[in-house]
Amino acid sequence: MLVKLAWNGMKSKRKDYIVLLTGLVMAIAIFYMFQTLALNKGFTSDYAMINSMQLIFNVGSVLLAAVTFFYILYTNTFLLSLRQKEYGVFMLLGAKKRYIKNLMFVENMLIGIIALIIGVAVGIGLSALVARLIMGQMNVSLDGYQSFYTPSMLVTFGFFLFLFFVTSIWNHVRLSKIEVLDLVNADAKADKTVMKEKANIITIIAGIISLMIGYVSLIFMEQLREIGVFSSAIMTTLGTYLIFSSFIPMIVKCLKYNRKWNEKGIQSFTFSQLMFRVHSLKKLLATVAMLIALGAGAISGGLAFKNNGEITVDRTMVYDTTIHTPSAEEENIIDKIPFIEESEYRYKADGEFDYFLKEDLEDQRPLINTEMVRESTEVKRLEAALPDEKDSLRDVQDKARNGSFEMEHEWSLFLNTLQDTYTNQPLIVSQNVYEDIESEEQTVFVGKTDDFMAYTDQWAALDEIKQEQMDTETAEESYGVTSKYAMYKSYDTVATGTVFMGFFLGVAFLAMMASCLMFKVLSGANQDISRYEMLRKIGVKKKLLERSVYKELFLVFLFPAILGVTHVLIGMNMFSFIIYEPYYRIWVSIALFILIYALYYLLTVKMYKEMVLPDKDV
Amino acid sequence: MTYSVVDVRNVDKVYGKKNENKYRALQDISFSIHEGEFIGIMGASGSGKTTLLNVISTLDKVTQGDIEIAGTNITAMNQDALAEFRAQKLGFIFQDFNLLESMTVYENIALPLFLQNITGKKGKERVENVADILDIKDILDKYPAIISGGQKQRTAAARALVHDPNIILADEPTGALDSNNAASLLETLKQLNEDHNVSIMMVTHDALSASYCQRILFLEDGDLYKEIQRTGTREEFFKEILDELAEAGKKKL
Repeated sequence: MLVKLAWNGMKSKRKDYIVLLTGLVMAIAIFYMFQTLALNKGFTSDYAMINSMQLIFNVGSVLLAAVTFFYILYTNTFLLSLRQKEYGVFMLLGAKKRYIKNLMFVENMLIGIIALIIGVAVGIGLSALVARLIMGQMNVSLDGYQSFYTPSMLVTFGFFLFLFFVTSIWNHVRLSKIEVLDLVNADAKADKTVMKEKANIITIIAGIISLMIGYVSLIFMEQLREIGVFSSAIMTTLGTYLIFSSFIPMIVKCLKYNRKWNEKGIQSFTFSQLMFRVHSLKKLLATVAMLIALGAGAISGGLAFKNNGEITVDRTMVYDTTIHTPSAEEENIIDKIPFIEESEYRYKADGEFDYFLKEDLEDQRPLINTEMVRESTEVKRLEAALPDEKDSLRDVQDKARNGSFEMEHEWSLFLNTLQDTYTNQPLIVSQNVYEDIESEEQTVFVGKTDDFMAYTDQWAALDEIKQEQMDTETAEESYGVTSKYAMYKSYDTVATGTVFMGFFLGVAFLAMMASCLMFKVLSGANQDISRYEMLRKIGVKKKLLERSVYKELFLVFLFPAILGVTHVLIGMNMFSFIIYEPYYRIWVSIALFILIYALYYLLTVKMYKEMVLPDKDV
Repeated sequence: MTYSVVDVRNVDKVYGKKNENKYRALQDISFSIHEGEFIGIMGASGSGKTTLLNVISTLDKVTQGDIEIAGTNITAMNQDALAEFRAQKLGFIFQDFNLLESMTVYENIALPLFLQNITGKKGKERVENVADILDIKDILDKYPAIISGGQKQRTAAARALVHDPNIILADEPTGALDSNNAASLLETLKQLNEDHNVSIMMVTHDALSASYCQRILFLEDGDLYKEIQRTGTREEFFKEILDELAEAGKKKL
């Protein structure tokens, strides 16, 4: 009987329950997706760019759990608002409180369990999909990632069952304190929006100052180091909360006080609704802004790490390829690549020294990266003088052995990058000495294109040939190829893992936050129904009311978005001392954020509209 | 003879779809409201008062018949046109005030004006004008949450009046008021009707409220079975109404 009553009650409000269930399923799916990464320690440590990756995931788990907790509380309030009147009527009719409490408990657990089963299934599907998408996009395979991961499933089940249990108990307690009449008349409550001017201005100033301090700490993170990490985290968060409790309401107020705007159509109603909403949602909006920043930041961070690969290799190696005595096959490939700079240097090797021909170096002065010698990095022509050796070959060898062979530092650095083996000491000798060396003459080709990334296929082909050569030359297991491309490749694999994790982290936060906002808005919709009905009665066209809903919710969604994106834009500075270009493709994360956020916005509007503007005749 | 603001001709309202249990809420109803008339609709719960009010206020469609308001036949209009029509020609007073708590009294009253793009000085003048008539000029800047029930209903009345509608439709306007506030509101409505020639149609089941009207239509089971016209004092009219209600009650015994 108990279950049947609960079930019938749920059926009567099917649409609302579908909304509720969808929200829960999303939350569970996201939580599960996140856990597939967080708990898979083998995977995260294999692909981690920074050794604190596991820490980030632990912190992320705690944060996500906290957000989820509040989310469940919101959905629970929503649930209670759906049912309280009915429960009130049951009680009026003489149902015992205990009975109602049990009914509620059964209902909560029932919804929870249904949501859990669907949620985990969706989570498995989603994580498999995302993993495949990312792997396809980045053209790598992420070994070790499992979308169907038992520990994550256990944790998800445990966590949510616990949450549902807690909220059920919470409802139990709440219901104990509440009187019958409160339940029956739960709808009729007035909202007050009182604002104290003076206190407000102080809060605004405090908010702006703390935000400024937070931003400054983010920008000068490199100088401030540990202090910066703390001050930026604390001050930015504090500033965000203060701004949302003071500045944003003031903006809305200003909008309202602009007579021309306020008195246009039902704009006064829109602004009033907005005002009320901004007040009641200020803490949530601030949290949303912060988590948007974290989410978008995680995605941008991952992408910037990935991009860092190209820049890193560009800075360590000026030339895109270095080939010793190119074979016909290699020549073939090289010929097809449009190098903007290419040189070929002759040298001889005798097992102890590599003798480079001075005249070749003189005629084709190479490019070097100044980072090797100075702090700043730029590519420049090597201008240093070449050693002016007049000694015979024997003298040169002797000098080199006792360390008195003199060569400009930049030259030795450059020659090191040319050498195939690091055991030989590079020397520069002039033509006449060079001719005395009995070893076979070899050449080394270096080439630079205008865009390293445009010819990855060719670099890969060259590396493959090289690898084959090395395998045949040495019987035992040879070392891997150490080309620029190989270096890029090994960096990239790890970075892709980071992107993947950043993406999960980011999407999880963004989606959770947006659904939190959605439910908070929707759980208040019941109170708005009568307002919209009245407006319709006094002759406001439905289209106008719809537009009002769109506008109001747009602004509600917009405020945290602006602040959150600003946080990200400034916050990425933080990475400037580990990543060369922290702002690389920041638009990707911002676009992704906007996409997710816009979807939630439209969904919220749609559901809100269905609640306050039902589709009946008139 | 003054011309009629509302003309209801042979109106039927049937609830329930085809092949379902049908319920005839209004049965062949015809009557007119003249300009400047204060008319009351009385009847027990379920007699069809609210349905009648809803079809006249264009919130519900009639199944058959015609309704003409201020010379416009509303039965054939589409939703948007009806909304516009309501906004311009009708004023509403609801039982539970239906004020918007997040807006000041001023904004609540001015809302119908904003809808018609009457803003700025012109709008302010008109709001202050009706506020003056309804004696709520001092609370214009306040929010509904902190004013009394009587003031709330006066605010609602001001909102119904501000855009100069052809007729004010009041649905149990005193239902949520104590007797003092109720009397004061009814006095105000009467005054509006007499001094400003505002046409009012009020739905009520309370004889005392009804006694403020000039003419009362009695409704039962969707049928307009009687109408009485006030000829003498309000006290006499009140008795007449009570008698009529008692008469109707007796028939059912």
